[in-house]
Amino acid sequence: MSKVNPKFATELAKYGSDDFNACFNCGNCTATCSLSTTDSSFPREMIRYTTLGLEDEITASLKPWECYYCGECSTECPRQANPGELMMSLRRWLTAKYDWTGLSGLMYKSLSLSLTAFILAFAGVMAFVFSIHFDMERMMHVGHLFEMIAIGSVAVVILLPNIVRMWYFTILKPKTKVSFKKYVTSITDLIVHMFTQKRALGCDDNQFRWFEHFVLVLAYLSLLFTTVFLDWFNATNLFIIILGYVESAIIFVVTVDFVSNRVKKNKAVSKNSQPSDWFFVIWLLLMGLTAFLTRMFIDFGWLESNKWLFIVHLTVLVQWALIIVPFGKWTHFLYRSFAMYFAKLKES
Amino acid sequence: MKERIGVYICHCGGNISDYVDVEELSKMFHKEENVVIAKDVMFACADSNQKDMVQDIQENKLDAIVVCSCSPKLHLHTFRSVAARAGLNPSNYVQVNIREQCSWPHSDRPREATVKAAGLIRAGINRVSFSESLEDIQLEVKKSVMVLGAGVAGMKAAIDLAKSGNEVFLVEKDFFVGGRIAQKDKLFVTGQSGKQIVASLYDEIKKQSNITIFTGTSIEKVSGSLGNFHIDLKVKPRYINGKADKQAVKRAMEECPVEVPDAFNLGLTKRKAIYKNYPEALPDVPVVEAELLKDQPDFTAKFASTLNLNEQEETISLIVGSVLVTTGYENYQPKEGEFGYKTIDNVVTLPELNRLMELNPQKLVYNGKEIKSIAFIYCVGSRQKKGENKYCSRQCCTSTIYTSLQLKEKYKEMQTYHLYRDIRAYGKQEVLYTQSAKQGDLYFKYEDKEKDFPVVEKVGKNTIVKVKDSLTARKELEIEADLVVLVTGMVAREDSTHISELFKIPIGRDRFFNEIHPKLKPVETVIKGVYIGGTCQGPKNVTESVQSSLAGASKITALLKSGTVAVDPIIARVDTDACTWCGKCADVCDYGALKVVEVDGKKVASVNKAVCTGCGICAPVCPENAIEIAQYTDKGIESMIDGFMLDVQIQEKEVNADEVQDENAVGMKEYPQVWKEILAGMTDEKNTIPQIIENSKLKGELVTYHLMTMNKYGVVVPAGMDQKEEYFYYKKK
Repeated sequence: MSKVNPKFATELAKYGSDDFNACFNCGNCTATCSLSTTDSSFPREMIRYTTLGLEDEITASLKPWECYYCGECSTECPRQANPGELMMSLRRWLTAKYDWTGLSGLMYKSLSLSLTAFILAFAGVMAFVFSIHFDMERMMHVGHLFEMIAIGSVAVVILLPNIVRMWYFTILKPKTKVSFKKYVTSITDLIVHMFTQKRALGCDDNQFRWFEHFVLVLAYLSLLFTTVFLDWFNATNLFIIILGYVESAIIFVVTVDFVSNRVKKNKAVSKNSQPSDWFFVIWLLLMGLTAFLTRMFIDFGWLESNKWLFIVHLTVLVQWALIIVPFGKWTHFLYRSFAMYFAKLKES
Repeated sequence: MKERIGVYICHCGGNISDYVDVEELSKMFHKEENVVIAKDVMFACADSNQKDMVQDIQENKLDAIVVCSCSPKLHLHTFRSVAARAGLNPSNYVQVNIREQCSWPHSDRPREATVKAAGLIRAGINRVSFSESLEDIQLEVKKSVMVLGAGVAGMKAAIDLAKSGNEVFLVEKDFFVGGRIAQKDKLFVTGQSGKQIVASLYDEIKKQSNITIFTGTSIEKVSGSLGNFHIDLKVKPRYINGKADKQAVKRAMEECPVEVPDAFNLGLTKRKAIYKNYPEALPDVPVVEAELLKDQPDFTAKFASTLNLNEQEETISLIVGSVLVTTGYENYQPKEGEFGYKTIDNVVTLPELNRLMELNPQKLVYNGKEIKSIAFIYCVGSRQKKGENKYCSRQCCTSTIYTSLQLKEKYKEMQTYHLYRDIRAYGKQEVLYTQSAKQGDLYFKYEDKEKDFPVVEKVGKNTIVKVKDSLTARKELEIEADLVVLVTGMVAREDSTHISELFKIPIGRDRFFNEIHPKLKPVETVIKGVYIGGTCQGPKNVTESVQSSLAGASKITALLKSGTVAVDPIIARVDTDACTWCGKCADVCDYGALKVVEVDGKKVASVNKAVCTGCGICAPVCPENAIEIAQYTDKGIESMIDGFMLDVQIQEKEVNADEVQDENAVGMKEYPQVWKEILAGMTDEKNTIPQIIENSKLKGELVTYHLMTMNKYGVVVPAGMDQKEEYFYYKKK
């Protein structure tokens, strides 16, 4: 017995989608979706749960993560209920739900809070550079140190507990019985989906979108590796230097395309942009750009006279690592791949 | 007796002549006594033949004709008008059906079919020789109409009837006009309130000098018939002194010490014993319930000059030409315990909610509690599995959805839940459904089975509705609501049986009045001159009610326009010499068409020509054989039997052996072109549909469709399935 809660609709509207009340349950969205199957059918079911406010059912569901947003459902919807955007909003809502700190939800719902966080991060960076009198070497050193510490602590303090919570909501609480063996054997699914986003290939829209995203993920992960473990900014090895240039250039080029799509709103997937979407793509773009320029300025010996550039890069880095990664859209990288893993576990 | 009869036997292009030997028959009847012409014709109904017939009648001075062809349902009027065009009285025409009754049913036995046709034709000839020339009966009618029921349908029809020049008597049982719509606030589409509509209609009625309104009036007795209905009305007194000062009347209303539940507000409020349904109710004169003031001598003494408690009931007799019944409907009253009605304190019906909304302009309050969420349960008392209300009440879905929009507009914070079986917001009303869904109203579909109906329960202080929602994979859901509203449908009025008995209007099992034909005679009843309109006929919304009552008004205006009405002359007639007036005929007559009269000092039966339908039930019961039906006289019928029984000798038609071999399975002379192509495409012993499509180069759907038909008629037969069990094989038979 589930209790109907119409107030949930108002709550979800704060995460983006507010057209779903127009739905009259025809099921065209589910019929047209190329990822929906008989065993796991969506998005109609999720729309219905949302309109009725069946929070428990939504929290236990992995279906929002199974959608890769081609937007076909929204195009076909005879009531303009925008199911695609509903699934997107549910992913935001779930992200907030998984987050034990509750900060994700607050930032999704309040733009001013997000902006405050960004400003605070900037102020922190400024305070730090002032305190060390703009000493370039120390800035570089601390920047590199920060990266390592931030990655480690965000992963341990925020991301890991959140994944455990996701596991609790979707596997443990609905009393799904999973053998230990299954946990081990399914791990390949986790890895494959994490690094290839294979499932997105099932979407009917052009495969180019998948390719762009795939290249971006590889570039991002390898740039992370290059800067953190190969210490790109201090590297002397030509191969490493060029590798870093290529990676940051790819990030820059692909994100420029993503941002321009969102500006032009030319595809269903880029029609509706929430602040969290803008922050994510723009900061990724800035990361690529500032990293590229910083290394270039180092190579040409301009950095010492253009310290501002590194301060900008550091600011972007800090904001990214402390705001977007733990509480923003970055988490979809983890939740999507773990959702595929958990879905595999649920298969009987 | 007719002595110059023309007989036409139709081939119907082979439909008849393939089995019945029409040529032989025409030769045979040519020799018949009194028959001047006997012809076989290819198509009797063809224009050319009709012209020939007219010519034949005129040239040969025929006095009667018989056409032996198809059913009279098809061509009776065709040949009647042929007769009329040739100057012959149309009742001197008889149609004999030798197609539906001979050639078609007896195609396997052509000889017998021919013998039967011969018998029927001879019967027809005999019958026509006894025919008489009859003329339509002209009745004088009074150009006055009684409209029963002053609801929106009746009021609007009364205005139209009056404008078309009829004297109109508008009779209302209640003391105030307006009927059910006065109980409604805003109405879809215009947003006008029911009361505004009533007021504007009343205003228009008052401008018409030829409308008389009777309120508090009931029908006592009805006699007479089309053109001259005699109707007795009983007018109840209002017990108000007509000359009393308006202020005094108002004071009397205010000071009246007796209070009773207010029926107009469906018992939700109380009213005084001196009352109006609502302050602006029309006519603008209050009513006193004298019974309730019996024990209030002080009060009645104080207002002695205002009240007129000795006023008496009045009986008025009127004569009208026609009657329009627009008596309306009643709201279905749920049984105690039906979805918690009367057993759970916050369960009401939709009409009750509509009253509540009007009575609560600011906050919606029921039982002292502010209502912020409402669960509507649809189809209560409609589409019943058990019980007589099998019908859909038609207007309640839209009414509920519109109410839901009003609730949000009026009270802002209001969550509604709609538990429905099917939403039937047809036509333009669909717009409302869209609006409602978009404003966040939640819809739940429950299955059309009694065991799946929603359950209303009280859990502590909360009212919970449980429903298995088909849209959520039949998950059982709990809905908490401050108020549960049962969307009740329309039922026939309690007094519909009484009205039906008075006017003899047939009623259905659902107790709504029946029209003659739902499509072709939608406002006519079997009683000539009595029409129905509005919801007394079945559930309708306001628009549809007014449409039907105006249709009735137009029919009546057309009927009474000339002052006379033509009725069919085929009715009963009495032989006054033979009649001894035993009254048996009057006893069996369903229409009350037979009455006793005195002719030359002798009591005999007399037929009311306006009422008799010619059904013939009176003729066989008469012990003196003094009553008969025109065109169906004993002599005529007996001669038909004699004619039919006469022996007929007919040679079996020789059938050409070659012709038979040419015939195929279907009995067609030739297959259609597509079938030929399909058969040509069946190149192998057995073929699947895709193979035939491939071979014949025809369109896939065309082949599939025609192959099914060919299979049905045995042109091809299935021959197992292919190896993958995807397609059937077909082979030629």
